[in-house]
Amino acid sequence: MNVMESAAMGVKTRLNVNTIVKGQSVTKTFADGSVVALSGADFEIEKGSFVSLVGPSGCGKSTLLRLISGLIEPSSGSVNVKGENVVGPRDDVGLMFQKATLLEWRTALENVLLPTEVKRKITHDDEKRAYDLLKLVGLEDFVFSFPAQLSGGMQQRVALARLLQTGADILLLDEPFGALDEFTRERLNIELMRIVTEIEATTIFVTHNISEAIFLSDKVVVMTPRPGKIASVVEVPLERPRSPKMQTSVEFNKLVEHVRDLLGEF
Amino acid sequence: MVLGFRAFQGKHTKRIISHALIFIALLICWESASNFGLLDEYLYPKPSGIFHSFWVIYVKNASIWHHLWVTIGLVLLGFVGGSIAGVSLGSLVGFNPTMRRFLQPYIIVIEATPRIAVAPLLIAALGFGIQSKVAIIILVCFFAPFINTLSGVINVGNDKLELFKSLGATKRQILVKLVFPEALPTIMAGERLAMTAALSGALVAEFIQRDQGLGSLILLYSRNLNMSSAFACIFTLTVLGFFIFKGMEILDRRIAFWTYEAGRIQRSNKKARKTLNLLEVGHG
Repeated sequence: MNVMESAAMGVKTRLNVNTIVKGQSVTKTFADGSVVALSGADFEIEKGSFVSLVGPSGCGKSTLLRLISGLIEPSSGSVNVKGENVVGPRDDVGLMFQKATLLEWRTALENVLLPTEVKRKITHDDEKRAYDLLKLVGLEDFVFSFPAQLSGGMQQRVALARLLQTGADILLLDEPFGALDEFTRERLNIELMRIVTEIEATTIFVTHNISEAIFLSDKVVVMTPRPGKIASVVEVPLERPRSPKMQTSVEFNKLVEHVRDLLGEF
Repeated sequence: MVLGFRAFQGKHTKRIISHALIFIALLICWESASNFGLLDEYLYPKPSGIFHSFWVIYVKNASIWHHLWVTIGLVLLGFVGGSIAGVSLGSLVGFNPTMRRFLQPYIIVIEATPRIAVAPLLIAALGFGIQSKVAIIILVCFFAPFINTLSGVINVGNDKLELFKSLGATKRQILVKLVFPEALPTIMAGERLAMTAALSGALVAEFIQRDQGLGSLILLYSRNLNMSSAFACIFTLTVLGFFIFKGMEILDRRIAFWTYEAGRIQRSNKKARKTLNLLEVGHG
């Protein structure tokens, strides 16, 4: 299978009732068109699937994520969520960053409540839900801690709880655990898989770590730089639930090699 | 732990005692230097003379109190005025990039000019009296809150702004829930500088308009070569300055509590006590 063919696999615009996010020749340029961050990206993301965007810096993966979130608009082409053109941030799309971006003057609980607070006056039920979410991410003993009292991993857990508090069923994660150590990252990744399966969310996950992408995803979107574009989409047929052990299997490593080859050409 | 604490305490007491001993020795040296004619008593009063003056101006004829209150009132008035002006102008310029670009060169010019030089002009414009005194203090203590508010407001993290935008927050919400609290520690640092500046400003204002206040009193005593009373006034200002400094620190610890470890622990415990029971209700 060459690159063009596999890219075409993702390109096919056949109608699919399960499609929740769809992009059609999405192009984004910066600095008056002189920098092409993303060039003609076509993609379809299935409801409830876990999709990773993987590639070196400058391949447009973060740009693609921001386009889906509605934070930026495409220079040409269109992004659709649930059949509607994305024109700005949506309530059903939630975003999480590499940095926890917590508000230092708020406790973990108050940080988790922020998305609700922006929408309406918070109720006791909202508080309870936020509390439950903090329990879900394993922070029941740190509900009233301020960010400066938490470790980096714990801060990302708060950010994850905050993302879930939005009630969004499409979760966009931009290298969410990229700044953490290997062990913490793996643990959080496993928890993330458990949680998104539980709430049946569609997850789009940006990373530059190939193994991480394959371990987590149903599909890995391989992207290449200058100009940023989708080079290929790789299906990951590994069974779920996944355990860290799988990463040593032959099948897993063949997939890693395949993605590495696809990236290696650039 | 206990042993360690004891050791620390012992060390602490020892240090205080040694400081006190050195201080007393200094006073004795000073006193005897005057007694033996090594120091001109007219210009450098003896410690005993200064203690006597303290007693006279605070107790015997209690003449300092009025001036002390006048100066404190002036400092507070000017500080509040300067703070309000600084913070509001700082936010205004901070939120308005066009205005910022336009005002930048003027801000640099003002920053380079010693503000106190304008004091006589203010008196000429506003006349003698409290209004020009307050104006002088506002002038000297306005700048720190202004610059700090300005930089606090424009240095809000891009990632945090993006978070608020992705949550669909309104401009007002971004301002109230993000920009202002984020800028608060920087603003408070400006306020602490402003308070110190306000005290100096008040003294300069009182040196110029020598009608009342500690500044005018120091001027009066120095002219009459009543140096021991002048020194008593200066030491009064030392104590006043110390309390002002401490007061601002306490205020900062309360307002920007999250920048202090003790503040975080305290708030965190308080909130846990207040809310935890409410949250646990209905949980198995």
